[in-house]
Amino acid sequence: MNKVITINLNGVAYQLEEGGYEALREYLDNAARRLAGNPDRDEIIADIEQAIADKFRALLGAHKTVVITKEVAVVITEMGPVEDATKEGPAAESANATAGAGPAAPEAGETKDVRRLYRIYDGAMISGVCNGLGAYFGIDPTIIRIAFVLLTLAWGTGALVYFLLVLLIPSAKTPAEKSAATGVAATAQEFIRRAKAGYYEGFRTFHDKQAHREWRRRFKQEMRGWTQGLQRDVRENAHHWMPGWQQNPPPQPPPFGAVIAWPFLSLLKLVLFVALLFAVLSLVGDGHIFGIGLPLGIPLWVGVVFLIVAFHVFAWPLKMARRACRYPGYYGYRPPLAGLWDSLVWLACMVGLVWLADHYSPRFHEWLMDLPPMVHQFMDSVREWWARR
Amino acid sequence: MSIDEKFTSIRKGLLEFLVLKIISANQVYAADILKELNATEFVTQEGTLYPLLSKMRREQLVDYEWKESEAGPPRKYYELTAKGREQLRETTEYWQKISGTVRSLGQK
Repeated sequence: MNKVITINLNGVAYQLEEGGYEALREYLDNAARRLAGNPDRDEIIADIEQAIADKFRALLGAHKTVVITKEVAVVITEMGPVEDATKEGPAAESANATAGAGPAAPEAGETKDVRRLYRIYDGAMISGVCNGLGAYFGIDPTIIRIAFVLLTLAWGTGALVYFLLVLLIPSAKTPAEKSAATGVAATAQEFIRRAKAGYYEGFRTFHDKQAHREWRRRFKQEMRGWTQGLQRDVRENAHHWMPGWQQNPPPQPPPFGAVIAWPFLSLLKLVLFVALLFAVLSLVGDGHIFGIGLPLGIPLWVGVVFLIVAFHVFAWPLKMARRACRYPGYYGYRPPLAGLWDSLVWLACMVGLVWLADHYSPRFHEWLMDLPPMVHQFMDSVREWWARR
Repeated sequence: MSIDEKFTSIRKGLLEFLVLKIISANQVYAADILKELNATEFVTQEGTLYPLLSKMRREQLVDYEWKESEAGPPRKYYELTAKGREQLRETTEYWQKISGTVRSLGQK
């Protein structure tokens, strides 16, 4: 008479003698160890347990409810040792498992080295576009980020392209996609390598999303810190290997007075534009530009085109000057009060304009005087309408 | 070494090919595959077959669906994928080529 232990094989209970339980436990532990690193390990174990359960069921009946130790041993021998198909282990049947016997095919389970373009979100700065592109082409993502920034300077093209890529390129979420993104085959060897790097560990042991997110954040920070350190080194040593490469932001302050002059330049351009409008209107309406008649024989539209060209000719130096002043602001290196100064100048101009109009145009003056009572009337009517609701 | 032992590694290498052939005939359970193989010289055990099937599934040569079986929990029912059929065709061609070589070598 021996002790009986009840086990669970894929949801069905079986009773084994104690000795049989020990043998089965050892067999399954062995199998798990041989399959360590195999991505289908759990599934294979489940299949094996199911096969064992089937064999047990064949041995049991109404009059026999326990599997005895000898029967368990027989079943285990029938099952045979579990060999991981991805690693070519020594064949169970061959007694002399020398190196010559086993075929040397360690990467037998490797899928073809197919690389697909994904956005890689891990360790990325914004949406993983540069990361994904870098992994696909084998270029450092930092270089791609630099390229995007430079493109963005060209009237924002870079930002537009980036945004489109965020929408178009899928994000690598499952481990299969992630390995396809970097072109590394999802073999057991690769998983083992990653596990050693601690990567797999982090993803496997966190079952709740909070800890998972926390770990991912720290991982990303580490990666980003490293890349930022690299970027800093590159910036500092850039002049060694690429003369004339403009650093970001420019270390020298903007040209003197540029910030102060900037709103005036914008104003000048506006005045010029208004002058253009008036000139065109006068040309079209009266047939001459402020009293200067067109040379004989030249049609009207030529005159208009000429005016537009003239405007551009005069406006171009203004534009250049504005750009020279704008660059520092564009990079973000703007003196903090530049915006305030800009607004003040414009405000003063508006007030000045209004005062001029008031002073020189009686009609305007009257309209201005009428303004407060008009506003009051309007407010009253609004209040009435509100009260009536 | 008996002749059986000498051919161990060859049988092991051919196993995947034979499994592909068995599954290509019709949809089978893993237990059926074992039954067919054990009737031949290619005696196989579950411990070898299950990891092999799993590797073939990862390579997308076979696919399975869960089928309810009488008196028991649902079982995996294997069938070949298009890629698997392609692979089977290639392997059959290659097998014919090398068996032709084996036959013709050494003939005068």
